[in-house]
Amino acid sequence: MSQTTSVQQKRKRTSLERDQFRSGLVFLLPSLILCAVFMLVPLIEVIRYSFTDWDGLSPDYNFVGLYNYLHLHQIEGFGEMMVATITFAIGTTLLTIVIAFVTALALDKKEKGRLPRGLMRSLWFFPALLSGSVVGILWRVMYNYNNGVINKILTGAGLSPVNWLETRGVTNIAIIVGAAWVQIGFCVVVFLAGLQSIPQDLYEAAAIDGATPRQQLKNITFPMMASSITINVITTTIAGFKAYELPYLISNGLPGKSTLLLTQRIFFFGFTANDYGRGSALSVLLLVIIALISLVQLVYLRRREDIYG
Amino acid sequence: MKQRNTAKKVLSELILAVCTVVMLLPIYYFVIGAFKKRTDIIKYPLVLAKEMFTLENFPYVIKKMNYWKALGNTVFITLVSLLIVVICASLAGFAIARIRSRLFTGYYGLMVTLMVIPFIGCLLPLAVQSTRLGTYNTLWGCILIQAAWNMPFAVFLFTGFMRDLPKELEEAAYIDGCSTFGVYSRIFLPLLAPVTATCCIRCGVGIWNDYLVSRTLLNENKNPTLMVGIQGFFGARATEFGYAFCGIVLVSIPMVILFLCLQKYFIKGIAAGAVKG
Repeated sequence: MSQTTSVQQKRKRTSLERDQFRSGLVFLLPSLILCAVFMLVPLIEVIRYSFTDWDGLSPDYNFVGLYNYLHLHQIEGFGEMMVATITFAIGTTLLTIVIAFVTALALDKKEKGRLPRGLMRSLWFFPALLSGSVVGILWRVMYNYNNGVINKILTGAGLSPVNWLETRGVTNIAIIVGAAWVQIGFCVVVFLAGLQSIPQDLYEAAAIDGATPRQQLKNITFPMMASSITINVITTTIAGFKAYELPYLISNGLPGKSTLLLTQRIFFFGFTANDYGRGSALSVLLLVIIALISLVQLVYLRRREDIYG
Repeated sequence: MKQRNTAKKVLSELILAVCTVVMLLPIYYFVIGAFKKRTDIIKYPLVLAKEMFTLENFPYVIKKMNYWKALGNTVFITLVSLLIVVICASLAGFAIARIRSRLFTGYYGLMVTLMVIPFIGCLLPLAVQSTRLGTYNTLWGCILIQAAWNMPFAVFLFTGFMRDLPKELEEAAYIDGCSTFGVYSRIFLPLLAPVTATCCIRCGVGIWNDYLVSRTLLNENKNPTLMVGIQGFFGARATEFGYAFCGIVLVSIPMVILFLCLQKYFIKGIAAGAVKG
C-alpha cells in the first residue's frame, strides 16, 4: 500500500518536473530569440566577415583566409593605435581607482565628518549620470585652447596655457581625465558598499591591540576590499577598451592619429573606409582582449571564493 | 593629542570639500553657461552675474534640435526597451533559478558569456540585420537592439536574485496544482520589485544615454534622439558655447530629476549590480 503511493508520488513528481521543464523552455524563448537575432547572428557574421575582403556594400566578396589577421600590423598606424588604446584603458583605470578609493575612504559612514555624507555621495555620483556624448562635448569645450575654462584658470593663476587637444601625449592625458571623470562616481559607490560590509569589530580589536590607523588600513581595509577593487578594476578596464564616443568627441583622434582608439578604427573601417573585412578583424581583436580580461576576473574571483568561501 | 586630531579632521574635511568642488566644476561651468551668451562664457567662465543672465539660448536650442520630438523618442525607446528586458529576463531568470535542468544552467552560461561582447564590433552586421528585418531607421529597430544587448546582464541579475529566495516558496503552490506560469506570475513576480529597480536603473541609464545605436540606425531628421541631436551644436569650427551648454542641460535634466527623486535606489542598484557583476 505504502509502496504504491510512493511510486505514484514519484511518477507525479517526474510528470510535474517534465511539465516545469517544458514551461521553462517557453520562458527562455523570448530572451533567446532576441539575443540570437541581435547578438549571436551579428557576432557570427563579424567573425565570418573577418575572413573576407567584403567592402560592406557590394554583394560579392572573396574569402581570404587569415589575410586580414596576418596583415593587421600593416594597417597604417596600427602600433600607435594599440599604444593609444592600452594607454587610455590603463590610464583611465588607474586614475579612476585611485581617486575613487581615496574618496570612498573619506566618505565612509564610519568617519563622522562635518559635511553630510549622503549628499556628498550623491554629488560624486552626478557625472556618472551624463551621456558619453554629452561629456565628450563638455570636455572638448573646456579644453579649448583660446576660450576653454581650463586654460582661463591656468592663465588666471599666472601659468602658461596648454594646448590640450593638439599636443602629442598631452591629448592622451586629456581624454583619460574626461573618461575618468565619468567613471569615478560608479566606483565610489561600489567601494562604499564594500567598505560598509567590513565588520566593525575588526577595527575595534585592532585598535585595542594598538594598531595605528595606517596599519589598520593596510591589514584590514585593503585585504577586505580586494574583491571590490578587482571588480572596479576589471569593469573600468573593459569600459576603457570599449569606449567610443567620449574620447572621440573630445580629441577626434588628433593630433595626427595619436589618440585614435581601436573602437574608432573599427567604426572607420566599417562605415567610412568600406573595408569591412579588416574592420571585422579588428572587432575580433577587441573581443579577444575583452574576453581575456573577463577570464582573469572569473579566475581571480573563483580563487577568492575558494579561499574565503 | 586631541587637539591634533581635530586639526587633522578639519584638514581632511577641507581637502574633501576642495576635491568635491573640483569634481563638480565642469557641471557648474556648463549649467551657468546655459544662461549666458558666448562672449560672457569666454570672458567670465565661472561667474554668473545678473546682467549676463539670459534665457535666449533655450528657445533656439529647443527648436534647432527638435527637442520635444527627440525627448519623446528617447523616452519611448528607453521605456519600451526596459519593459521588454524586464519581462523576458524575469521569465528566463525564473526558469534558470527555480527549475532544475542542465540545459537551463547552460543557457545561463551563454548569457554570462554574451555580457562580454563589445557592441561596437557588431554594429555593421546589426545595421545589415535591421535592413533585412525592415526595422532600419525605425524606433522599433532601436528598441529591439537595446533590449537584446541589455538582456544578458538583466538575466544575470534576475537569476541571481531568484536563486537567493527560499526553496519552500513554490512547493506548496505546485502541490496545490498551480501551473508553472502561475507560480512565476503569482508568487515570484510580486517579490521582484528590488531587482527590477536595479535592472531598470542600470539598463535605463545606458539606454537613455546611448549615442551609438541611434546615431547608426536612425535618421537624425526623421527620428531625432537627444544624444545625437546635441551633436548639432558642435560644429567643426565655431562652437556656440551657449547653445551647446544649453543643449547639455536640456538632454541631461530628465535623468538628473529621476536621480534626485530615486537617489537611494540608484545608489543601492549600482552597488548591487556591480557586486553581482
